[in-house]
Amino acid sequence: MEEMKLFYAPEGRLRLTKGNRSYTDVKLAWASPLSFPDRYLAFMDGKGHEIFMVTDPRAELPADVWEVAKREIQRRYLNGVIEKIVDAKTEFGSTYWKVLTDRGEKEFITQSLSENAQWLSPTYLLLADVDGNRYEIQNIEALDERSRALLTVTV
Amino acid sequence: MLSADPNSGMISGQKILAELPADLTEEGRYGERVVQVSADTVRVLDGAGATLVSVPIADLESARNDSLVSGGRLILRTKAHEDLVVAYYSLTHAQQFGELARGIEQLAKGNSLDIKLSLEKLRCDKCGKLLPERDGVCPSCINRGKTMLRLGGFLGPYKSRVVLLLGMAAVSTLLALVPPTIQGEALDRFNKGTLTTEQLYPFIGLWVVVLVAMAVFQILNGRLMTFLGAHLASDLRTTTYRAIEHLQMTYFDKKPVGAIASRVTQDTDRVWFFLVDGLPFIIINGMMLLAVAVMIFSVNWMLAIAVLMPIPLVALISMKVWRRISNLFFRVSQKMARVHMHLNESLMGIRVVKAFAKEDDEFVRFETRSQELRNAHVRADQTWHTAFGVMTLCVTLGTVIHWAIGGTMMLNNQLSLGDFYRVQMYLGMVYGPLQWFASVNNWFSRAMAGAERIFEILDMTSEPTGVGAIEKKIEGRVEFRDVRFGYDKSNPVINGVSFDVKPGEMIGLVGHSGAGKSTTINLVSRFYEPDQGQIMIDGVDYRDLDLRSYRNQIGIVLQEPFLFAGTIAENIKYGNPDATFEEVVAAARAANAHDFILDKSDGYDTVVGERGAKLSGGQKQRISIARAILHDPKILILDEATSSVDVETERKIQEAILNLVKGRTTFAIAHRLSTLRNADRLFVMDRGKVVEEGTHEELMEKKGKFYDLVQTQSAVNEIIGIGAV
Repeated sequence: MEEMKLFYAPEGRLRLTKGNRSYTDVKLAWASPLSFPDRYLAFMDGKGHEIFMVTDPRAELPADVWEVAKREIQRRYLNGVIEKIVDAKTEFGSTYWKVLTDRGEKEFITQSLSENAQWLSPTYLLLADVDGNRYEIQNIEALDERSRALLTVTV
Repeated sequence: MLSADPNSGMISGQKILAELPADLTEEGRYGERVVQVSADTVRVLDGAGATLVSVPIADLESARNDSLVSGGRLILRTKAHEDLVVAYYSLTHAQQFGELARGIEQLAKGNSLDIKLSLEKLRCDKCGKLLPERDGVCPSCINRGKTMLRLGGFLGPYKSRVVLLLGMAAVSTLLALVPPTIQGEALDRFNKGTLTTEQLYPFIGLWVVVLVAMAVFQILNGRLMTFLGAHLASDLRTTTYRAIEHLQMTYFDKKPVGAIASRVTQDTDRVWFFLVDGLPFIIINGMMLLAVAVMIFSVNWMLAIAVLMPIPLVALISMKVWRRISNLFFRVSQKMARVHMHLNESLMGIRVVKAFAKEDDEFVRFETRSQELRNAHVRADQTWHTAFGVMTLCVTLGTVIHWAIGGTMMLNNQLSLGDFYRVQMYLGMVYGPLQWFASVNNWFSRAMAGAERIFEILDMTSEPTGVGAIEKKIEGRVEFRDVRFGYDKSNPVINGVSFDVKPGEMIGLVGHSGAGKSTTINLVSRFYEPDQGQIMIDGVDYRDLDLRSYRNQIGIVLQEPFLFAGTIAENIKYGNPDATFEEVVAAARAANAHDFILDKSDGYDTVVGERGAKLSGGQKQRISIARAILHDPKILILDEATSSVDVETERKIQEAILNLVKGRTTFAIAHRLSTLRNADRLFVMDRGKVVEEGTHEELMEKKGKFYDLVQTQSAVNEIIGIGAV
């Protein structure tokens, strides 16, 4: 891969230099974040055109570029990844959740779980709250027993 | 959230004009942030109140929101062209931040702040719980324990019948207690050797009378229940259907048709089944339980306590497993809806399925869903049977206790044989139904899950119909005043559109896909209402107009015309059922449809739709134009009305449209720009804004966006040989 650099200049604006070309307002986008999390990362220029896409960013991108990219991704993809379910209670069609995520504690409400709880695989669950914010449980089996029990009775 | 008291805060001597909470930190973690705006500063505070960012508005050029996944961020651009990301927020606050960015820009341009930031309530004042809908009611405070009462409300119109039913149930219960009493008495007399044949026959006679009376009551009860059941089912279905009809379009955008349909059919079925079978069962057997307890206590209180002991145990087990079983059955209903959804979808798209030879894949998908349903069923029913088995054991223990304690008492002459027998019979009467109380739980769980889903629909905000609104005949002047709208609130599709259309004017909307053309006509149709700005009809904000009367004066011709099952004449009369046959024919003539209709063997009585006559796309389109002509709308919307037909048919449709637009304010979208030649004015849209407007000729001369569009299309048409524009 050509030599490349990814950096914020100024803070908040992502720039990319690749070979002898330079791009401002670079945007990072997972091509298929749910089916292939951690794979197929696209770099887009300020006009929304694709610059290039890498299949396995962790392995293919230079370490320093991946570090900056990770930071940007963390800011751009604000889905919470649920690590523990503290409480989940369904009342009158609304489910009240209290969870611990990779971003800290969060409370939210989901409605009509038949539409807003999406099983991406038998162990991967995506929840969308009433405002459209999304929360992922990437592996149900990795949750503690209480969380799993709460999930069984709600979803 | 606008600070409740704007005077409460100041930034360096300036009043805080607007204040908004954000719920994400700069590193994307959940946390508290507050953005404050005064006349000269934008400031961001952390949860503890320490200032993180402070930017003088004098240094700012603009402000915007960057929409991210599950949230967004507020970006300020300085005059030195530097972008400052000042706050991250989840979608919960996205709309408010859109408004705030607009406000900051107003201040940066030296204007005064003119934004609508409302004080939004996210949590219930009473219990502190999050609210499912902002500023909405708290379901757990309003509805707790009231689902049943609400369901009971559906019995309202049949009050007298319900009372009759309960009365008869009470009499049946009392009658049921008579035979064991007679038998016990007979046994006692027999045991004492005092029973004579003369005494036996009257006993039997009384018994027969009671049995006949019980049978009569049973028949009457059954008939009454059937009546109530059928009526309730129908009421529930129609109420739910009515509520769904009036839901906002956004609901239909998000939900598949199959899932909505299952609420009208399955969920209502479950509820009425419970109301008609479950509820009377609980009431009758509840009464029975009470009456029997009284009778057993009257025989011997110690024995009564002993034999009735397992009842609380059964109740406890029921309560323990209830929630779990109820959730399992809820899951069954969800899986059922998924099966229905797939069935609907694949049958509706059967042409595509066959064309791609994907029958096998669809079968696998269906099979998977069907198996999911099977597994959910198995799990729910197996759990239920396990609980049921344990409960049966507890129940039979009652009889064993009776034999152990009652038997001993009888041997010690503390209890007569007749009393022993009566208690045994009474126990059979309560413990039998008691086993079924567990299945009442089962029905109850299903019914409550269904009821919750139904009430969810009934409680949803319906289209604002403008209560007490103005009903008037409109002339057709349509004015957009700085209208902004987005399907997703953080991402406006219409971004500050203003125009004024005179009555009877024909407007062509042109632009690339995604420019906001369809959204504009959706707004005119009032399928959606603007997030900000106003749409004025004849100088009145259309939200003040009665929705029904407004829609009655709008006609729509879509790219894919939708005809209902029924005859051609019925379809043409859809918007105006009282029209005479002559009027129908006149409309069909004006729509260039008369000739081909006459060509059908049944003429205007030809049935369209499933199993009906096959109509071509162009024919359906002309019927839908005839429908619009007969509807006689003041405002007409043509959404790609001619895009899916051949050139000859297009000519016929064009003629029909020319007849249709006369004297009506018309908004037309057409892919082929040439078809908009007749328009009085063209609005060229780009990224949610009207960027050019004028007649075809004016815009061609101007050589701007429209000119470019025409050039591109001519080039493309030449290549594919349609003929230049």
